[in-house]
Amino acid sequence: MKNRLKVLRAERDWTQADLAAALEVSRQTVNAIETGKYDPSLPLAFKIARLFGLAIEAVFDPDEA
Amino acid sequence: MTNEARRPWWAWGACGDLTERDTRNMRRFSLLCLAWAILFAAATIALASGRLPAGPLSVAVAVIPTLLALAVIWAYIVFLREADELQRKVHLEALAAGFGTGMVFMMGYRLLERIGAPKLDMNDPLLVMVMVWALWQAVAARRYA
Repeated sequence: MKNRLKVLRAERDWTQADLAAALEVSRQTVNAIETGKYDPSLPLAFKIARLFGLAIEAVFDPDEA
Repeated sequence: MTNEARRPWWAWGACGDLTERDTRNMRRFSLLCLAWAILFAAATIALASGRLPAGPLSVAVAVIPTLLALAVIWAYIVFLREADELQRKVHLEALAAGFGTGMVFMMGYRLLERIGAPKLDMNDPLLVMVMVWALWQAVAARRYA
């Protein structure tokens, strides 16, 4: 599943550690999501979308592998 | 917040960086492991010395380390329940690999013993389990790094 996490984070000038702290996950988790190595759980995906003030489908694209 | 600056000894049971909650839970797990190992060694030495009189004291010395081991299991379950979700995934993969390999080793080696392979100690499959668990964690954590 593709996502725009890296772009959204860069737009806000946040580091991976900043985002990890805001989401209460490890930096490794943020990195794995950004690089597409790990798909987050539904609660975490919603939390990410809420943090950026976007709909979940504006962050994650389930059609792209 | 993440804790990735350095890896203290008590973080041996987890690879990758840890959140503050994971750090706290892993520390508790590791300290209980250490306490169990010390108590287990002390009980083994005490029972092997033959100086303890048979009866309630010997039974207590033999049982107390096991009670502490139950606390270790509880601490690990708490760690898994509250863990960062990627950390939990890594641990579940490692547990499946470790437990599965240990079981296969144990059952498979019994057949080899029937055709003359040397008898193994009861603890050897446990050693295989723990080693595969740790190794799988390191490999899985690297995959998601």
